[in-house]
Amino acid sequence: MNVTANDAILLTHATVGVLGTVSALWVFVETLNVREQNLQRIRRAALAVAIFMVAAWIFGGYWYLHFYPAERAMILKGPWPFAHNVFMETKEHLFLITLILSFYLPIAARDQLLSSAAARRMVLCVAGLIALSGLALEGSGAVIEHGVKVALLRPSGAEIRK
Amino acid sequence: MSADSSRLGRTNAAFGMAAAITALFNTALAWAKDTYKPLTNLMDAIAGHNWTTQALADVMLFVGLGLILSNTAKVQAIRPERLIFFLVGSVVVAGVGLFAWYAVF
Repeated sequence: MNVTANDAILLTHATVGVLGTVSALWVFVETLNVREQNLQRIRRAALAVAIFMVAAWIFGGYWYLHFYPAERAMILKGPWPFAHNVFMETKEHLFLITLILSFYLPIAARDQLLSSAAARRMVLCVAGLIALSGLALEGSGAVIEHGVKVALLRPSGAEIRK
Repeated sequence: MSADSSRLGRTNAAFGMAAAITALFNTALAWAKDTYKPLTNLMDAIAGHNWTTQALADVMLFVGLGLILSNTAKVQAIRPERLIFFLVGSVVVAGVGLFAWYAVF
């Protein structure tokens, strides 16, 4: 087995991204059923979303700056250049919006969720946006990695591998 | 859940508005640096890479705007439904705007 730093950082990025997305869904469901007993759990889960997304930012950012340029070159020479030109370009900027929403979620969850319907709606909307954008980001990651794969596997990939 | 209030707390409303504005700013900055190369070069020089600079600018804008707006009652005076709609709308427009931009140009 030969797991490089490149592999470990990329997979950690994807893993914490999924954990952040699932935590946002957790906040959403708990908020639908908010009561005194689960209020602290909602706030802790909202904080977990922020922590996981910051981790995804750090690992993903490091990988993007240090390891992605080589993969980008392969993608652009392969049959799926849109994997970079559309999906990576969108992903790297969309992620920053998800990150800001993840910073905001714990603040929104500190509001009076038991007594304010508006505060509950805000948490539901923000958690929902994080979950949906998180899924879009994970899907984009899959397209980008497939862009590398098809570049290497197609007959012209022999040229790229040199 | 008795005595249901329809208001958002001041800090919540302030940072909600800050998040909406930051989402729109993020997309506008992505478009701007994609069309104006000197801006990309400047952002590369500031933090080593334009994406890193953009991320730091977003975080600073969100935190700074949130703190400033928290000290006024103006955002809290906005009806919560409008603020929520503005936040969701901003995020959807910003996200779709990014995808459409890179898909078309």
